[in-house]
Amino acid sequence: MAAREAPTTSANRLKLVLAWGFVGVPLVWGVVQTLANAIKAFQ
Amino acid sequence: MVSFLAKERTIAHPGYSRWLIPPAALCVHLCIGQAYAFSVFNLPMTKLIGITQSASADWTLTELGWIFSLAIFFLGGSAAVLGRWVEEGGPRRAMFTAALCWAGGFWLSAIGVHLHNIWLVYLGYGVIGGIGLGIGYISPVSTLIRWFPDRPGMATGMAIMGFGGGAFIASPLSVWLIGQFSTPTHIGVAETFVALGAIYLCFMMVGAALVRLPPPVWAPAGYIAPTRPTALVTTENVYVYDAVKTPQFWLIWWVLCLNVTAGIGVLGQASAMSQEMFRGRVSAVAAAGFVGLFSLFNMAGRFFWSSTSDYIGRKNTYFVFFALGTVLYALVPHTGAIGSVSLFVLCYAVIFSMYGGGFATVPAYLRDMFGTRYVGAIHGMLLTAWSMAGIFGPVLVNYIREYNVAHGVAAAQAYNTTMYVMAGLLVIGFACNACIRAVNQRYYMREPIGEAAGSAAALGGR
Repeated sequence: MAAREAPTTSANRLKLVLAWGFVGVPLVWGVVQTLANAIKAFQ
Repeated sequence: MVSFLAKERTIAHPGYSRWLIPPAALCVHLCIGQAYAFSVFNLPMTKLIGITQSASADWTLTELGWIFSLAIFFLGGSAAVLGRWVEEGGPRRAMFTAALCWAGGFWLSAIGVHLHNIWLVYLGYGVIGGIGLGIGYISPVSTLIRWFPDRPGMATGMAIMGFGGGAFIASPLSVWLIGQFSTPTHIGVAETFVALGAIYLCFMMVGAALVRLPPPVWAPAGYIAPTRPTALVTTENVYVYDAVKTPQFWLIWWVLCLNVTAGIGVLGQASAMSQEMFRGRVSAVAAAGFVGLFSLFNMAGRFFWSSTSDYIGRKNTYFVFFALGTVLYALVPHTGAIGSVSLFVLCYAVIFSMYGGGFATVPAYLRDMFGTRYVGAIHGMLLTAWSMAGIFGPVLVNYIREYNVAHGVAAAQAYNTTMYVMAGLLVIGFACNACIRAVNQRYYMREPIGEAAGSAAALGGR
């Protein structure tokens, strides 16, 4: 019998926000920097 | 510490969200993706002694070029050699080791820069850092596939997208750090290496702490593991050293190699190509903007195409890469002939999305062919195709261009033959992909039924 995925708890939800924020914020910052440079080049 | 790294300690407790695994993988891939941004150090490192301009004792660009080449060579080599060690020791030990190698490589390189000894930089970033790259690149692959048996393409695509995205963070961060550490009499490359090593070590350790293996015989909600294989998706497992004996492994090796050769060949030339094909209309600054845009498509394509492959199948995804890629490469000279910059940019944006997509879709292709158990190690072996393509692609593009220019072809048309050759390579890739069939049953591992069934639903320990 396979163990099934448990529903997301509020503690898990907080962990998810923190974990995704930890990697998402720098990535979005980097993408925005690159886009800003690309837009400057087109102007 | 040893027990913290043990595979058994990495098994998730009930209720652990599988959506915590992609950020764990991204912690590693965003850091090692810095490799794509290493070129920002090239110019400052040619002026470490002369400061305002290169002195005779300063390093040359040719000497510095070897640092990146060595790192990519050791990426492929370590992924191939250490794949089984990564697979059997679990993702946490692998991520921890990758973090130590990656940060250690930066710190040794900092000493090399401080002492102005290029061999220490080769050893630091090139060899030790390269080994960190290889281990880090493959460390989360099989774990993600085990957590996402229903969406393996999307899961690995997220991680490998991070490798493409790492340069977006590293490039402005490195430039900013060099600026902070530099004085009128000193260029702060060594200090920047020390800081980057510390930042990456912390970041990757978070990934190592966060990563978990699913409990034995775990499955996501609503997912029913297939009990019978389909034409191109096995429910069995193939041992890593048996996989390399199959024609399927080598066909996928060529599929990856040809897709990457075509992409990597023009990746380094995109800036020069746009300026030469549209002389007077595309400035160096605009060309740099195009390259930034293409890099974004390279990153986004990793997620888009690998996720799409979960719906249309891996083989069909590569058929799209090769068929559409052939048309687009053949179309690029035409964009120059009619003077359409926007069509040129559009063609290249799609080409680079498929270049990234090729990297991101291949782990799921291997999982379909060889099962989940050794997919990380098999993926490691396959990365030798990347190393090979990294040599052939740029050489091919540069050689053909130089040959054309030497034979009187105008600079604007010098890339036309290259584009047609790249299109030809993709036709060969199409044929290789078409030849891929299910792996012969004699290669399947003999193991207890419980273990074999876990190929899709995922098994933890061992």
